[in-house]
Amino acid sequence: MLKINNLKAGIEDNQILKGINLEIKTGQVHAIMGPNGSGKSTLASVIAGKEEYEVEGGEIDFEGTDLLDLSPEERAHKGVFLSFQYPVEIPGISVSNFIKTSINERRKAAGLDPMPAKELLRKLREKMELLSIKKGYLSRNMNDGFSGGEKKRNEIFQMAILEPKLSILDETDSGLDIDALRIVANGVNKLRSEDNATIVITHYQRLLDYIVPDFVHVLHNGRIIKSGGKELAHELEEKGYDWITKEADKKWD
Amino acid sequence: MGLIENLKSYTEGINLSSDKKELLDSFLTKGFPSIKDEEWKYTSLRKVVKNDFKIDESSFDISENEIENYSLNLVDRILFVNGNLISKPSIKGVTISNFSEGNITNNTEMSSLNSALAKKGFTISVDKNIVVENPIEILFFTNSETDNFQQYRNQISVGENAEIKFVERIQNLNKSKCFVNHFTQINVAKNAKIEYNKIQNNTNNSTLIDTLNVFQESDTNCCVNTLIFGGELTRNNLNFEQNGTNCDSNMNGVSVLDDNQIADNHTFVDHKQAHCRSNEMYKGIYLGDSKGVFNGKIMVRQDAQKIDAFQSNNNLLLSETSTIDSKPQLEIYADDVKCSHGCTIGQLDEDALFYMRSRGIGVEEAKAVLTYAFASEAIENISVEEVKLLAQKLLAKKLNVDLDFSL
Repeated sequence: MLKINNLKAGIEDNQILKGINLEIKTGQVHAIMGPNGSGKSTLASVIAGKEEYEVEGGEIDFEGTDLLDLSPEERAHKGVFLSFQYPVEIPGISVSNFIKTSINERRKAAGLDPMPAKELLRKLREKMELLSIKKGYLSRNMNDGFSGGEKKRNEIFQMAILEPKLSILDETDSGLDIDALRIVANGVNKLRSEDNATIVITHYQRLLDYIVPDFVHVLHNGRIIKSGGKELAHELEEKGYDWITKEADKKWD
Repeated sequence: MGLIENLKSYTEGINLSSDKKELLDSFLTKGFPSIKDEEWKYTSLRKVVKNDFKIDESSFDISENEIENYSLNLVDRILFVNGNLISKPSIKGVTISNFSEGNITNNTEMSSLNSALAKKGFTISVDKNIVVENPIEILFFTNSETDNFQQYRNQISVGENAEIKFVERIQNLNKSKCFVNHFTQINVAKNAKIEYNKIQNNTNNSTLIDTLNVFQESDTNCCVNTLIFGGELTRNNLNFEQNGTNCDSNMNGVSVLDDNQIADNHTFVDHKQAHCRSNEMYKGIYLGDSKGVFNGKIMVRQDAQKIDAFQSNNNLLLSETSTIDSKPQLEIYADDVKCSHGCTIGQLDEDALFYMRSRGIGVEEAKAVLTYAFASEAIENISVEEVKLLAQKLLAKKLNVDLDFSL
């Protein structure tokens, strides 16, 4: 589904990603871990198409198309979804209005008419139930005055509604208490299928107890320095990052 | 010939009472306000008044179709065509009649001119204790073939404990140039409530100077919403005078301009009595070479203690060449009051744009949604649903996107 080849990107003169290679097949969950500043969020943003990052080389092949040739909205239409580490507050637009617009913009791109109101409401209700979201939530303004946990839950709610092929969860666990974490992880697990894939970006192992990955990659200084199975996450939790980053630093210096 | 010359030759042939003659003479001596006048510093009428506007065009043919196109098609409708009252609703406890003289006003050049020569407009009185559920639509249409100058003079008096809502629209239906000098006085008796909505979406060869004076007795609640989407030049003078205690004066404004449009909102709240509130929220969105002006004056007189006055003017400049001049003016002579004002000028938030695009919303649509979000705070305060929907529709149209903001 996704094949990243030697991806190099940065901001202005500062190179952050120094040659990322990653392959993800449908049905898989990949975790990307790494210390602060290793480039995890940059990778997520570059896949989603954030324009302030300059791509210097490489490609991101997504089902035969290079995502780098597409605008952020076109990537979304193809089925890429980024759950933001810091979801943006948009006062003045209700959650329902925002979601309606994003559904219908996707339908427009696919040559479809807007979703009938009844169908939309049914879908919203169904996904609200999945994520234990209370009534009244839909008329609140988008992320405006939401707690950290509510914002993250709102991201997963949108993911549930948009049903992307590739979901990238950027630090979705930060700001969540243990109950909210369980609900969100449970939602993500229910949305998993043989036709989609998930990238979980996280600093801690905690989230991976709930969303169990097939592969774990360690990102450090803009490169994937180690890949393994889910047991790698446990090892990192126990030993920290130093033991592999030191080795990698020697190699690349 | 310019408008001043045309006014001179028009008035040579008519008889005026001595006080009106005096008003007219003082106007003709001073002429139209210019940018040397502090109140008109940022808005120039020089170009407009050079036009060869004709005065007093009186034909009134109009098709149902034309009316429907520019109307909210509310059940209760007052229709003027070229100043002639064509139709009016019949509502229990509400008397609607043609122009009546009313008091002379001479506090500005434009109101002197209006006072001296206006012969068209409406007079509405609402009996006490009458609560009118449905908003009343007031339409002033012009469809003159020649460039024309119109003056309307209107009066509304709302009786004690009465409640009423209006939606007003002034529209030029022809390609000719049109200049309207509009004057409305509203007197609100004790414990009465009024909402006045102004839809200003005229053609790009139309000029409007609209003066609305609201006089409030105690325990009254008055709200004026001004929506500017069109017109070559639009100037609103909105004045509230609080003559009793426990009054609320609310103002919401949304201006969405493009091309070379100019919109100037001048507001003035005169807090004369204690325990009153005023709240104004003006949002401006500027595209193309458009220009906005906001001047908000709040006066708190010495005896007006415990006043809570709030004013905000937020602006979005969406093009390189659009401009906004914003000026708050607070004059406070009482010592126990709460007055605050804020003004912002900015562009759209890039992070929010990326966030929306990552959810599949196209860049133009994302900009439109953010712009709508920016304006919505003021739009939400409008209680007439039809006006709210029209504002949303006009905003989407102006931003050139096909979006439906309602749900």
